[in-house]
Amino acid sequence: MGMRRSAALIAAAALAALPAGGAVAQEVVKIGQIEAQTGPLATYGWMGYQGVKMAVDEINRAGGFTVAGKKYRLEQISPDTRANPQEALIQLKQLLENDKVRFVFGPFLTNVFNGIEPYATQNNGKFLLMGGATAMHGMLGKPNHDYLLRTWNWDAGQSGFGQLLVDYLKKQGAKKVAMLFQNDAFGKVAVDIYSPIFKQAGIELQVELFEPGTKDFSAPLAKLGAGKPDYLFPGYTDAVLYDIVRQATETGLFSRFFLVRGSLAPGLKNKEAIDDYIAYLPKYFEEAEKKEPKVKAFVAAYKAFFKTSDFPYDQAPLCSSSCYDHVYMLVEAMKRAGTVDDVAKIKKELMSMTYSGLWNIRYDSTGEAVFDFDVVHMKKGGVVTATHVQPK
Amino acid sequence: MAQLILGQLLNGAIVGTLYGIIALGVSLTFGITGIVNFALGVFMMLGAYAAWYLTDTLHAPYPLAVAGAVALVAAAGWIADQLLFRFTRNDLVNGLLVSIGLIAALEGTALLAWTSTPKEMHHILPGVFFALGLVVPKMKLTVFAILLVAIALTQLALTRTWMGRAAYAYAQNAEAAQLMGVHTGRLQTGVMVYSTALAGFGGALYASLYSLEPTLGSLYVLKAVEAAILAGIGSIAGALVGGIILGVTEGVGSIYLPLAFRDAYGLIFLVAVLLFKPSGLFGGRR
Repeated sequence: MGMRRSAALIAAAALAALPAGGAVAQEVVKIGQIEAQTGPLATYGWMGYQGVKMAVDEINRAGGFTVAGKKYRLEQISPDTRANPQEALIQLKQLLENDKVRFVFGPFLTNVFNGIEPYATQNNGKFLLMGGATAMHGMLGKPNHDYLLRTWNWDAGQSGFGQLLVDYLKKQGAKKVAMLFQNDAFGKVAVDIYSPIFKQAGIELQVELFEPGTKDFSAPLAKLGAGKPDYLFPGYTDAVLYDIVRQATETGLFSRFFLVRGSLAPGLKNKEAIDDYIAYLPKYFEEAEKKEPKVKAFVAAYKAFFKTSDFPYDQAPLCSSSCYDHVYMLVEAMKRAGTVDDVAKIKKELMSMTYSGLWNIRYDSTGEAVFDFDVVHMKKGGVVTATHVQPK
Repeated sequence: MAQLILGQLLNGAIVGTLYGIIALGVSLTFGITGIVNFALGVFMMLGAYAAWYLTDTLHAPYPLAVAGAVALVAAAGWIADQLLFRFTRNDLVNGLLVSIGLIAALEGTALLAWTSTPKEMHHILPGVFFALGLVVPKMKLTVFAILLVAIALTQLALTRTWMGRAAYAYAQNAEAAQLMGVHTGRLQTGVMVYSTALAGFGGALYASLYSLEPTLGSLYVLKAVEAAILAGIGSIAGALVGGIILGVTEGVGSIYLPLAFRDAYGLIFLVAVLLFKPSGLFGGRR
C-alpha cells in the first residue's frame, strides 16, 4: 500500500512537472511581434497583441500542431515598440539575431515600418514580416522584399475599401469633403492615397494636417467649416476622433462624417448631433456576434481568456490585421508546406490559401491581404446599418 | 475672417487658462523647492481620470467628482513628496530625474488600469453660447471662469495669508525666512501638495472638455513650463497671462500659418520674448 502510494505520488509529481498539454518533447516555433502596446498609438497594437496571445494559447492547449510528423508548440515574443521606430529596430534585431525568430507579426504603424524596413530588407529570405502598415503597400513585390506580407486591405484599387467608400459617399450626394489628419507618416500617406480617389470621383477635397497630440480642434474646424464642406473626413485614431467629432458637432460646424480608420464609438457617443457617420469597419462585431458562430465563439473565448465581462467591441475590428486568424493561418501554411523553417515555402502556401476564420482572408498576387469587411452607416439617433462586402 | 480671428482669440484664452493653472504649479514648485516638476502633467492626468471615474462610473455629481479628484491627487502629491521629492529639494537634476521616473510609473499604471482606449466623460453642460456670431460651448466658458477664479484665489492666498507671505519670503531669501520662523519643510510640502492639487483640478476640468488617455498630461506640462518661463518664474498672474498668450498665439497662428506646426508658434514667441527680456514678461531683473 505504502509503495503504491509512493509510486502514485511520484507519478503525480512527474505529471505536475510537465508543461500544459504534455508538450515536453515538443519543439518551439517562435512568433515575434513588433507592435505598440503603450502610448497614444497603442490602439493599433493592443488588439493584435491580445489576439495573437489567445491563438497561441489555444493552439498550445490543444497539444500544439504537427508538421512533417513532428509536434510543435508556439511561443509569442512581443516587445512593446511604443510606436518608436528606433526601439522597434532594436527589437527586430533581437528577434532575428538572438531569438532566431522566422515569423514576425506587425507593425501596423507606418512610421515604425519605415524605421525597420532597411534592416528587414537586409535580412530578406530569412524571415516573414506580416504587418498592416500602409507604407508596406509600396514595397510589396519590389526586389529584396520577399519577406513582406501585408495583412490589411488596401484603400485604393478595384478591391480597395477606400475606393468603395468614396463611391458610396458620392451616392450620398457629397460634393466637397474636408480632410483633417495628423501630420505624421500615415497622415501624409492617407492624403496621397485619397486625393486622387476623391478627384476621380469628382469630389472637391480640402486638406488640413494637425500636430499629433492636439486636443483642441477649434481652430482647424473653424477654418475648414468656413469652406462649407458636406462631410468631415477626420484623423485615424480614436484618440483624436472622440475630440474632433465632439467639437465639430457641439459647435454645429459638421454633422456628417466619413472615416476609413477608427471606430464607431466616437459617432455613437455624439449620435444625437450626427446626421451621417460613414465608416469602414473590418467587422461590425456587435452585429457579427449575433450572426456568425465563429465571432460569437471568439467573443466568449476572449472574455474567458482575459477574465473580463467587457469585450472591446470598438477595438476588435483591428484584429483583422496580424492577429488571431493570422496565427492559425500561419500554422496551416506550415502544415501544408511540411516545414517550420523554409520561409519561402511557407509564404507560397500562405499566398495560395483562403483562410476562413473570423474573416475570409486570402493574399493577392503581390502579397497583400484581401478580406471581407463592413461599410457602416450610422444615422441620427444611432441607427446603424452595416453592409457586408466581400471584395473581388 | 474677423469672426474666425475673434473666435480663436477667445478659444486661445480659454485653452491658455488650462496651461496657466499647470504653469502656476510649475512656478510655485520651482520657486519654493527648486524642482521643475514635470510630473505635474501626470498628476493632471490622474485628476482627469479620477473625475471621469467618479462621474461616469460611480455616478457622482460632477462638482463632487471634481472635489474628490482634487483630494485624491493632493493625497498622491503628498505621498510623492514624502517618498521621493523630499530628498531632491533644491537639486534640479535629481528632481528632474525623479519627476521623469514618476511620469513613466504613473502613465504605465494608468495604461494598465484604463488601457489606451480613450475615455470620454458624458457631456456635463451641453449646448453653446451664441454671441457676435461666435459659437462657444457652454462648458468651455464655465471652465474658463472657474480657472480664472482659482488663479485669482491663489493670488489672494499668497498675498493675504501668513502662509502665502511666508512662501514669498522664502522664495526671496530662504535663510532670512527661516530666521523669521518659517518652517521650511512644512512650507515646501505644502507647496508641493498645493501644486499637485492645482494640476488635479485642471485635469478634472479638462475631463469635461476633452477625451482622456494616459499620456494627456505630457503636452500640457510642456506648455505649462513654456508659459511659466514666458511669464517669468514666480509670477502668479504671469503664469495665467503666459498660458493665455501661448493659447492665443497657437489659435490665431493656426489660421494664417500651417496648422501642422501649431506648437512651434508659441515657442517662437517665447524665444522672441526671452531674447529681449531674459527673465520673462513679468520676471524681475536678473
